[in-house]
Amino acid sequence: MEEPEWHSPAAIEEAVALKARLGDAAAVVAGGTFTGILVANGLIRPTAFIHLGRVPGLDRIEIGDELRLGAMVTHRRVERSSEIRQSPWGCVAECFAQVASPRIRNQATVGGVLCDADYASDPPTLLVALGARVRLRSPSGEREVLVADFIKDHYETALRADELLLEVVVPRPPLRVTYLKFKSRSSEDRPCVGVAVAADMDREGRCGSLRVVVGAVSGRPQEFPDVCAIALGHRITLDVATEIGRRYSELASTLSDVRGSAAYRSRLIAVLVRRSLEPLAA
Amino acid sequence: MKIAVRVNLHSVELEARAYETLLTALRGAGFRSVRLTCGIGVCGACTVLIDGEPISSCLVLAPAASGADITTTESLPDDDPVGVAFQEVSAFQCGYCTPGFVLTTRALLSENPNPSDDEIRHALAGNLCRCGSYTKIAEAVRLAAESMRG
Amino acid sequence: MTLDPRITGRIEYGQDQRMDGMLHARILRSPHAHANVLSINTSGVPSGVVTLTRDDVADLEPLYGPMVKDQPIVARDRVLHVGDAVAAVAARTLREAEEALELIEVEYAELPGVFDPVEAADGAAPRLHEGIEFPADLRPDGHNVCHRFRLKSGLGNDGFAAADVVIQDSFAIAGAAHVPMEPHATLAYWEGGRLHLITGTQTPFNVRRDMAALFRIPEEMIRVVVAPMGGSFGAKTFMRLEPITAALARKARRPVRAVLSRAEEFITVNRHPAQFRMRLGANRDGTFVAKSVDAWWDTGAYADCGPSVCTKGGYAAVGPYRIPHVTVDSRCVYTNMPPAGAFRGYAATQGVWASERMTDLMAERLGIDPLELRLRNLLREGDRFATGEVMHDVRFAECLRSAADAVEWGEGRKNKGLAVMLKGMQTPSRTGVALEIDAGGHVVLRSATTDMGQRPGTAQRNLASRALGLSPELITVGPNDTDLVPFDTRTTSSRSTFMMSNAIREAAHDLRQKIAERFEVAPEDLVLSDEGVGVAGSPDLIRPFADLAGLRGDGTFVTPGGLDPDTGQGIASSHWHQAAASAEVSVDPQTGVTTITRLHTAVYAGNVVDRAGAELQNEGSTIFGIGTALFEGIVFEGGQVTNGNLSDYEIPSMLDVPEFTYDLLEGGEHSHGLGEMAVPVVPAAIGNAVAAAGHPVRNLPMSAESVLGAQ
Repeated sequence: MEEPEWHSPAAIEEAVALKARLGDAAAVVAGGTFTGILVANGLIRPTAFIHLGRVPGLDRIEIGDELRLGAMVTHRRVERSSEIRQSPWGCVAECFAQVASPRIRNQATVGGVLCDADYASDPPTLLVALGARVRLRSPSGEREVLVADFIKDHYETALRADELLLEVVVPRPPLRVTYLKFKSRSSEDRPCVGVAVAADMDREGRCGSLRVVVGAVSGRPQEFPDVCAIALGHRITLDVATEIGRRYSELASTLSDVRGSAAYRSRLIAVLVRRSLEPLAA
Repeated sequence: MKIAVRVNLHSVELEARAYETLLTALRGAGFRSVRLTCGIGVCGACTVLIDGEPISSCLVLAPAASGADITTTESLPDDDPVGVAFQEVSAFQCGYCTPGFVLTTRALLSENPNPSDDEIRHALAGNLCRCGSYTKIAEAVRLAAESMRG
Repeated sequence: MTLDPRITGRIEYGQDQRMDGMLHARILRSPHAHANVLSINTSGVPSGVVTLTRDDVADLEPLYGPMVKDQPIVARDRVLHVGDAVAAVAARTLREAEEALELIEVEYAELPGVFDPVEAADGAAPRLHEGIEFPADLRPDGHNVCHRFRLKSGLGNDGFAAADVVIQDSFAIAGAAHVPMEPHATLAYWEGGRLHLITGTQTPFNVRRDMAALFRIPEEMIRVVVAPMGGSFGAKTFMRLEPITAALARKARRPVRAVLSRAEEFITVNRHPAQFRMRLGANRDGTFVAKSVDAWWDTGAYADCGPSVCTKGGYAAVGPYRIPHVTVDSRCVYTNMPPAGAFRGYAATQGVWASERMTDLMAERLGIDPLELRLRNLLREGDRFATGEVMHDVRFAECLRSAADAVEWGEGRKNKGLAVMLKGMQTPSRTGVALEIDAGGHVVLRSATTDMGQRPGTAQRNLASRALGLSPELITVGPNDTDLVPFDTRTTSSRSTFMMSNAIREAAHDLRQKIAERFEVAPEDLVLSDEGVGVAGSPDLIRPFADLAGLRGDGTFVTPGGLDPDTGQGIASSHWHQAAASAEVSVDPQTGVTTITRLHTAVYAGNVVDRAGAELQNEGSTIFGIGTALFEGIVFEGGQVTNGNLSDYEIPSMLDVPEFTYDLLEGGEHSHGLGEMAVPVVPAAIGNAVAAAGHPVRNLPMSAESVLGAQ
């Protein structure tokens, strides 16, 4: 393999310019966990690397009306941030804390996990349920894309060849948010099924908003707003929880892998969606 | 390319290609306590501490480590409390995974000097031991924590 | 106190061995499970890189193998499994070697493959080997069955007529990967016509013998130095990288080292996938009357030690029970899968799974408590096993009771399961040990027992210390080098502590004799102490050991035996491994996920000579068993491994291991091996518990999905 170029830009503009110039021939290295695996195991052979480790301003955590996480913020910083944990976005810290091992979390980044678009991941499922957006920059300017639209399929995102992901923006979550990571084998396993629930209930327990997202079962997180709509304006009873689970099970497309067959995943979606909604029935 | 790092408080110049990992570079420089088992970051045999935090060196592209402050177990003095605890409890069999566990333990106890059994298991779950020394490893961590708390 | 080099990471394993001028080897492997090799073109490889193809080994024996000579160093005209070695290169750097591999062009013509042993055993399947010479003690069928072990006791199948109740069932066990943390590693170099191998191996003398035959040189022209291993569990046995590295080193005239990648570990040697069909007949009061075991062991493209696996698994599947009429028909079958070989638990894992599930199915059928059913039928002192041998030093019932008590079986058996087993130890076998006094006055123990993590040195020094009456500090263990150590069959089947304890005793006796001769006194008048050698009644006359430098005592211990392959009669094991386990589980009925809430093993340990080591071995085996039970299984598609990495193939982590307890039954004069005992009984006990929870599983591993689907 020819020696690839190693670029370590010192400013965002420089990084964006490099990306625009080199396009898909370059591999962007954020935390480097995913890129590290691909390169070390000979799966990709980029002619250049753009390392973001020295770019200032990409590792900020800001809590205001929205939560802003810089692309280079590691999973571990999100996990350990007492600010985030004590804020309405505490569920985000809990979700990032469930990813892999402390070593991976020390290295992997918020931007990286979204750009990798690996289906067997936890954060994308929750971020979709919270309506999170990514902020992208190219030489011609910036745009924002919903995470739900950003992740298109296995390892495929809406990121253009000349763009870099700078930040993830998470709107204020509703009151009740959970993320359930179902592992079918070892405690160290990747998710077989991930279920994120984000709901608002009024004082009488009637549902004002409900989003249910299932992840790790196909190329991208899936949600069915029409199905969640049956809960709106009503109390979420066990029957409602079961029905939503059943319909999700029918509608979600699932794949087979070492963690379970497509049929098993479908069966589990019904169970896990119901279980995720049951606390809202209480 | 040459990559300047500090390993165990000494300046070291690592030699590596841009697409090689920190693991390869460190082993090439003679640090054989850092080992390859899975190559995908799940087993912990390649664990090093970077600025005191455990990292899978098999996932770090060598140039990205430039300037890093790296710790490996070659630096362990004979009276290191974690090392002594592992020895007293005999918390190892073939020893291949042991440096990874020792470093992870040190990082855990720096952050949490009095971990519960549950916290110990969660902190160490990412380090695999095929020989199955987990019971004694957990015991060694408790013993080390006790001795470090004085 | 200095820290053990395993803690500081300064220990050097097989993969760390290096020599000046050493080349790095890589192997070109077949992407096809079964294909003719039409041509191999290495002309594109740079001149500085050494290549190896069939032409380079045409002057050697064409085939090797520990039991059947069926494997070439590199493919001749056919490849028989995905990953089969076709060619190899050695270069100055690993990267150059990897790049060189890509420049070798191979033309294949694919052939239909067979990937199931029952299918392969059928005459209609493609025949995989031709012209193989089978040794006289094997029973090949002329097609794909390379060995058939049969056993008949009493009336055999005719015995079922006498049974009140007969049940029949089938069981399947997936192949598994050893996953040693350190991959296979071998360094080879030739010097003055002698071949030197510095290799991670459990079997140095097998390697020496088989390499000598392969390279057509006397055994004395081969030296095997055993490097410490970062785990092995059966993977680093017999010939693995030694033939290819030796052949490359011969051509290169330089040392060559090969270290496998993790992906290669999954296509080099694995645990035998196996299928069982069993019938069990009993009387209404629970007395066993007849049992028949039909087994198919998928040994893959090359037999390796498959014939022995199929024999041991065949009789392990009978179980530690009194059964008047037993039939076993156990087949070792070639398929186009990667080779299967020695694996921790050695055939007992598969056999005990089938047998103990069957025992519980009979208990259910008869409406008898599974503990009672077992106790009623367990072998006792003086009983004959199905092989005809008389059982001595029997502790099965004690092991089983310990297991049952640990889960409070008497309080109720909901969600609980039991298992009890017998496992054979390599028989026949031979172990030699020497105790030699060196110039410094130390006693150097020379033994070929290899260290794969069980750190036998502690036990060895303790045994020698007891036998001689000296402190362990005076005893050192010499290097494991076939030029220096006496013959030992191999470090497998948990035989070493037992065999060494006997051989060391003999060597100590012999050393005392020699010291006595030197002093011209009777051996019983000698007094050995840490200060030196004295004579009883003359306390002032003590000669330091250094004065006796060079004196050496030799001891040999032999366990004779063996089974007739057609009748299964004889001595299967000079010494039996005995163990039991119990488990309590909680199964989520909607997801199938099994949580182990209690787990206990009871193992007959005998005389424990290294307490920490004994605990580590039993704890390690238990954890190994958990992986076998719940998640470990290689997934093959058309002979291709599809989960060949440690994210897709998972081994237990610390969080997967519940609190567990164990009982090492002590007593008796012998030290029993502990390296494997929990491995077969743990999955069987968990399986019986999962069945008791309402999910009658029959296959390993018990994935959550399979538990949900078990009817």
